Parts: sequence; structure tokens; C-alpha cells
Amino acid sequence: MKTLALVLLLFATQDLKVPDAAQFVGAPKGTPVSGEQLFRETNRIGGLLRCPVCQGMAIADSPSEMAVNMKGQVRELLARGYTEEQILKYFELSYGQFVLLKPKFEGVTGMVWILPVAALAIGLVIVFVKLRKLEAPRTTNNQPPTTEDDPYVSRVRDLVSGGKS
Amino acid sequence: MIASLGRLLILGSLLAATAGSLLGFAAGRTRSVDGLKWARRFAYLYCALIMLATVVMVVALLRHDFSVSYVAHVGSRSVPTWVTVVSLWSSLEGSILFWGFVLGGYIAIATFLTRGRYPEYQPDAIGVWLGCAAFFSFLIAGPANPFHTIPNPPLDGPGPNPLLQNHLLMAVHPPFLYLGYVGMTIPFGFACAALLKGRLGHSVLKPLRESLMLPWIFQSIAIMLGGWWAYEVLGWGGYWAWDPVENASLLPWLTATAALHSIMVVERKGILKGWTVTLIQATFLLVILGTFMTRSGVFNSVHSFTQSAIGPTILAFLGFALLFSIALLAFRIDKLETEGRIEGAASREAMFLVNNLLFVLLTFTVLIGTVFPLIVEAVKGKQMSVGRPYFDSMVVPIGAVLLFVLGIGPALPWGRATGEQIRKSLLPPLIGAVVLAALGYVVGVRNPWTLVTLAFGGYAAQVTLKEMFVPMRQRMRRGEPAGLAFVDGQLRRGRRRFASYIVHASAVVAIIAIAVSSSMRQTTELHFAKGQTQQASGYDITLTGIKEVQEPHRSSIISTFVIARNGKPVATLEPNMNQYQMMREPIGSPDVYTTLGGDLYISLSNVDLLNQTASIAVFASPLVVWIWISVIAMGLGALFGLIPSRRAVVSESTETLPEAAAETA
Amino acid sequence: MNRTVLIVGFIIAAALLGVLFLGLGKNPAEIRTPLIGKPAPAFALREVGTGQTIDLAQFKGKPVIINFWATWCGPCWEEHPVLVANARTLQPNVQFLGVVFQDTEEKILGFLQQRGSSYPTVVDQAGKTAIAYGIGGVPETYFVDANGIIRAKYSGPMSSDILQENLRKAMTP
Repeated sequence: MKTLALVLLLFATQDLKVPDAAQFVGAPKGTPVSGEQLFRETNRIGGLLRCPVCQGMAIADSPSEMAVNMKGQVRELLARGYTEEQILKYFELSYGQFVLLKPKFEGVTGMVWILPVAALAIGLVIVFVKLRKLEAPRTTNNQPPTTEDDPYVSRVRDLVSGGKS
Repeated sequence: MIASLGRLLILGSLLAATAGSLLGFAAGRTRSVDGLKWARRFAYLYCALIMLATVVMVVALLRHDFSVSYVAHVGSRSVPTWVTVVSLWSSLEGSILFWGFVLGGYIAIATFLTRGRYPEYQPDAIGVWLGCAAFFSFLIAGPANPFHTIPNPPLDGPGPNPLLQNHLLMAVHPPFLYLGYVGMTIPFGFACAALLKGRLGHSVLKPLRESLMLPWIFQSIAIMLGGWWAYEVLGWGGYWAWDPVENASLLPWLTATAALHSIMVVERKGILKGWTVTLIQATFLLVILGTFMTRSGVFNSVHSFTQSAIGPTILAFLGFALLFSIALLAFRIDKLETEGRIEGAASREAMFLVNNLLFVLLTFTVLIGTVFPLIVEAVKGKQMSVGRPYFDSMVVPIGAVLLFVLGIGPALPWGRATGEQIRKSLLPPLIGAVVLAALGYVVGVRNPWTLVTLAFGGYAAQVTLKEMFVPMRQRMRRGEPAGLAFVDGQLRRGRRRFASYIVHASAVVAIIAIAVSSSMRQTTELHFAKGQTQQASGYDITLTGIKEVQEPHRSSIISTFVIARNGKPVATLEPNMNQYQMMREPIGSPDVYTTLGGDLYISLSNVDLLNQTASIAVFASPLVVWIWISVIAMGLGALFGLIPSRRAVVSESTETLPEAAAETA
Repeated sequence: MNRTVLIVGFIIAAALLGVLFLGLGKNPAEIRTPLIGKPAPAFALREVGTGQTIDLAQFKGKPVIINFWATWCGPCWEEHPVLVANARTLQPNVQFLGVVFQDTEEKILGFLQQRGSSYPTVVDQAGKTAIAYGIGGVPETYFVDANGIIRAKYSGPMSSDILQENLRKAMTP
């Protein structure tokens, strides 16, 4: 009986341990946050993390239990002084880049940021070229437009025939 | 029995569409009058058959005839009648049937309205329309068949997805969506016909523009309704999440808007024909891409229908349509004659070019963001996400520049402008810019992009308001009384112009409302015991009770909150949690108190019936309702512009020439 | 013929159609784990029923199969007998461990009593273990080798064959 009690006591005082961010990203690098700022930061960073069980929603917006747990984890890490970078890195190490809603600006992933800028540049070039082409007087085609194509003539024809051209 | 009837009608529609399409193209080559006549008859026949098939399905749904496979899939005796009707489009097979129904209607109307006209373009247009119709009838007959006969029909069915039963908008959003997207088949037909003929003559511009405008109106309202529905139902307090299916609906709208503007330049100056035609084709192709994205299961989305055999089939059609369009463009685009020229970079025509550029850039950006995870997975085998933070960062700046162009475009005159004219048009609206931005700052706006949006919006608003009433002011200067000047100048003669300024004004309001409502949203999380009162965003919120309500298909826990402002109660909100029989997790339903100034939105995150406690998220967003209002105004304005005007007056005129001349002056 | 349009058009068409085609057949909801080849995150959680603390580290030296599940998950019901049977034959050379989250101890005990149990089941705290392991749904099973490195992960209910196939990955040096 006494042995049993001793054994139970031993087990009861043993610490529970859950995996911690420290295992993944080390010690906190920033200052602990609290109060109103903690609430806002949690929501902000929560908007950058994807809920793995929902269809594309951020953990800040999803009501599912998994998302709520993850948001709680974000809140706790912020309160302990972890930086945004560290928190995002932690989730990335356990879920993969899938969980980051904002694509990382590196390697293949970074292309998604560059492509629209490239498209803008190409588009501007095309617009300038087109403007130049349209501004040039039509020296190559000096024939007046035929009556077939003349917008004025077709308009008159339309009006006269009531559209039955 | 009834399933076989439906099946038969569908097969008939497939035959009619195929025959009609072939005849149309043949008549286009041979210019056979008889061929065209028969193609038109087959067009009407297709419409009749597909509509009948749809009626058969609706009847089967209403009669709870579970021997029809689709009815067994989505029907239920324990749902309200409106849900039964609406379940026609609640699941994959029925929605394709609905697509056919809408397409049939559009083709019949387009065929009717073009009778006796546009002999150059009509045959090929009908060929294209019926070709698309044939594809969809093929889908309904084969991979997406809703008319299977079930030998031992069950006594009852599961009903449509519970999320689709939560809100009346389910009855409105999909029909508008289909009216918008399916309708793009018609201008696509005209565009292809123009390319096949090698010319975009002035006469075909009117049907092209009008057949583009009507679906565009439906598209605009459909997208707005989608956002509104998401806002009212999903509970996270926002209305747009850049979900792949949301993006799918936005892409064709962007190119259609660009095309509508581009067409104006073709009308005025006979230039940019190739761009216009390309944009219209892109619109249709993006519609098909959109339907692929929604139905194929390739994208992770709140909307996803389950993956089925239909994905590859739609992809094949997309591929075919894409290659067909590219070939047409490559071989024919140079034949579209450029008839005019641009006088200078500081002209309205040049601004239209910039408008096109920006809309296409937006389309590209949204498309690349949506598709990028697929690309990365294909190329590197890595999984990554492109979510709201990306789209917001990219779209907001482009949108702001667009708003700016919306201001300076209409301010600049057509053709060559002198330095004096440019200064007179572009400088005064700066007042509007400063006023609105200052106003925003005073009421608390600090977000830089929102302030920029307010400045550009104020600029655009001033330009739009000034330009809007130019016809009326011109008449008043000639001595006409104000009332007559308004009716004559704005409503009778200058209708199209007035309509487009209404559309622009509404767009400005919409953009400002979107910017302000999203950047100024306040979020608060609160826990309540019954009877407790707490403050959020200037309101007093009291939990007055929590009750349970049992219905045959769901049980709900409803919490009641009384909202008060300055001591006076202004609303009672009842956010709830619904537990549907067929789903594991309960689905929360938020409740919103809407005023013109802003919304107070409450979403239940946790509720305890026994202990009478509740945890809620409170969102206070200003000006949200103006988004819905302005888009409806935009649609109504555009619709107003479509009303035909002078044509009827002139052709029916029996007056002598001098009298008629005096009338139209 | 406009060569530019043709070439640009074909490039766009090929890229778009290619990417979409490759996307077909893949399940976008399935998340692949980055933890393969990394050490299994350490934890010590309370066992249901006995209240004992079970530490993952105490199993170092033999392969461990960590199965995340819950009583409300349908496929977990399917999978349970497979785990119980395999555990009976493979233990003590291989350690089986069940981790439950988003559930109540009452329900878990009831489930185990009804359907049998041959290995320890622990309860997660606020889903933190699930987060560290990148759990996207249940059931998900991790196969850890004798040195504590994750060698394989399987999402979804397992059959005996799948279980043994993945276990082999954890047993190879």
C-alpha cells in the first residue's frame, strides 16, 4: 500500500511536456507583447497562417478547433516574446510552406511576386509601341477607306434602313 | 420514366445543337440563305428542348421523385419548397443542366434579335453558339448526367448541402452568376464571326457591345451577391477572401470590363479592333476556365464541388476553345483594318489603352496567384500557398491606379488636346481629391492606401459629376429650361453617355466603400454570461438569452443580443450555431446590424446552452452596405444605357425632311 | 498570319493547360509533411485511464508508430482494429502510441473499452502536439525510427499492408 502510494506520488509530480517552439526555432528573439497589442498582433499574424483543415482560410478567420488551437499557440508565443519571423518559421517547419499564406520571397516561390511586375513592364512597352504606331500618319496606306469600311457610311446606312443592313 | 424523358430531351438538344452548329458554319462559308434559315431553326429547337428538360427536372424535384438520380442526390422531403427549387443548381449535375437552360435562353433571344440583320456575321456566330451548346449538352448527356433512373428509389433524400440552405441569397447568387457567365458565349460568337470574316465593321459593333454589356451587368451583380452572401453566412466578418473560385468569377469580369471600354474606342475611332476581339475571346475562355476551376476539384476552395469525370472533359473543351481562338487570332487579326489614329498621349483614347493595360494586368496577377501553387507543385513537387496577403498587396496598388485613370480618362477630351485644355481639365478636380482625403483623415483614416484611394476617388468623383451633366448644361446655356434640358439631354438623347457616368460614379463609391470598410474594420472578442453587458465600437451589447430550436433537418442554438447606442436599443441580433443532421461540425450563422454608416456584425465562436454563456467575435465595419448599393446602382445604370432610343423614332418618322431635321438637332 | 500572336498564344495555352492537367488527380487537401528526416518533436503526455505520463523519449532504441486520432472521426474507427492487431504482434520490438486531441477523456475511455486497446493512448494539450507534428486531419500516423527520426507519415486510415510498408521505412537504417 505504501509502495503504491509512493509510486503514484512519483508519477503525479512528473512534468507533462508538449512540443515547444523552442525545439524548432530556439529562444525568443523579441520582447513579450500583452494587452491590446497582443490581440492585434495575434490577429495580424493569424492572417498570415493558413488553417490546414479548412479550404484556404486563415487561422484568424476560421472557427474550426484546429485553427483556434493554432491561434492560441500564436498568442502564447507572442506573449513569450517570439518575433513574427520565428513564429512563421515554427509553423513552416512543422507544416511546410503550405501553411504560409504570403509566399516567401525566395527561389521558385518568389516568382509569384516578380511575374506581375514583369508583366507590367512588358505591358508598358506594348502600350508605348502601340501608341507610337497609332500616332504615326498612315503613309503606307494612302487610299481613303472604302465605303464598305467607312464608319460614317455604315452609320448612315444603319439609320436609313433601321438597322437592316 | 421521367428520368428517361429528361434523358431523351437532352439527347435531342445535343443533336439539335450539333446540327445547327454545322449548318451555321457551312452557311458562313457558302453564304447559303437556306442554310442560315435552318441553322436558326435548330437554334430555337435547341432552346426548346433544353428548357423542357430543365422543366422536367424541376417537376421531378418538386414531386420528390427519387427515381431520378439527381433528385435522390439533393432532394429531401424535410426542406422548405424554395430550397427544393434552388437545389436545381445546388450540386454539380443540376448546375450544368441549369447552364444549358440559360444558354438556350440566350441563344434563342440572340437568334431572334439578329433576324434579318448582320448576314455576314450571323451564320458563324450561330455556329459558335451552338457549338458551345453542343458541348454542354454532351456533358449533361454523359459525364454529368442528372437523369439516371434509380431502380429502387429511396423514400427520402439527404437534401442539398446545409450551407446552401442557410440564406435566401442562395436563390439569387447562382442565377445571376449563370446569367452573367453563360451570356458571354454570345459576344464570343460575334467576335469569332468577325475574325472568320476578317473584318469588324461598324454595323456589328452594336450587337457586340450590347451582348457584352448585358451579361456584364449580371456578372457584376453576381460577384457582389457572392461577396454579400459570404459576408452574411461565413462568419469571419469579411466579404472577399481571394478564394480560387471567387477569383475564377472575377477574371472574366475584368477582361469583359476592359473589352467594354475598348469597344468604345473602336466605335469612335476605328482603332484597337484586334485588342477588343482578343479581350472578348479571353472573357469567354476565362468563363470556361472558371467553370473548370470550380468543378474539377483541382483547387482547394470553400465552393468546391466534388471532383468527378467532368474535370478532364471541361479541360479538353477549354483546350479546344483556346487553340481555336488563338488560331483565329493569329490568322485573322491583321485583317481587322485600323481606320483611325491617336492624336497624342494626353487624349482619352490613350487613357483607354492604359485602362486596358491595367485590367489585363489585374487579370494576369489574379490568375497567376491562383494558379501558382499548381505550377510550383508541377515544377518542384513542393506545396505552397498564395493567399489573401499576396492578393491584397498586389491588387490594391493596381486598383488605386485604375481609380486614378477613371478620373483623368473622362477628364481628357477625345483627340488632340492643347496644353491649356489639359490644364483646365486635369487641375480643378484636385480639389475633390484633397477634400475627400482630408475628410477621411478627420474621421480617423490613417492607412496610407486608403487615404490614396480617397484622394483618387475624390478626384474621379469630381470629374464624373462634372462630365455627367454636360449635355444638360449645354442645353440650358442655349436657353432650355432645366427640367426639359435634363429629360432631353440626359434621358432621351444622351442616354448612353449618362448611363456610363452613372456606372463610373457607382464604381467610385464601390471602391471607396471597399477600401474604407476593410481597412477601418474593428475586431473585438468578448465572453458573455447571460444578462451581461459589454462595450464594443461604441455600442452596448447585452446577452439576453440562449435557446435551442429543433427542426427536422437541424437543431440550432440561438443566442440573443440586444444592441444599444447612447442608451437606446437599436437592434436585436441572433447569431446562432446550427447542427445539421448530416454534418459533424456545427455551422455558425452570424447576424448583422446594418446602417448606412456601417455594420455591427456578431459571430458566435462558442456557446454553452446549459450555463447560458457565449463567446462572440464582434466586427464593426464602416460603409459596407454602400458596396452592395453602389454595385446595384452600377447595374441599373448600365441597364438604363441599354434601352434603345433614337433608332425607333427615326425609322418610323413620317415627317418631311426639314421637320425631321429640326427634331433631331 | 501574325507570328507573334501564334507563338505567344501557344506558349500561354501550353503552360496553362499543362499545369491544369497535372493538377488533375491530385488531392489539394492533402498536405505533405516537411518533417521526414527530422527528429520527432519531443513530448510527455498523460495516458487516459491510468493518468501516467508517457514520454516519447522513453521509447528511444526502438521504432515508434505514433497515431493521431479522435473518437469523432469515422475513418479512425475503421483503422483502430488494424492498429490493435498489429500492436499485439509487433510489440515490444515496435512501440505503438495513440495521441488524441480535440476530444474528451470520457469518450476516449469509452471507445477503448468498447473496441479494445493494446497500446498506450495519451491526450494532447490544447492541440500543441498536433501543431508541432503538422497534423492537418485525422487519422494521421507517423513512423519514427529507433533514433527518434521521423521516417514516414501516412494520412488517412491504414490497412495492415500500408502500416507494415511504412514501418519498414522506419526500420531501415
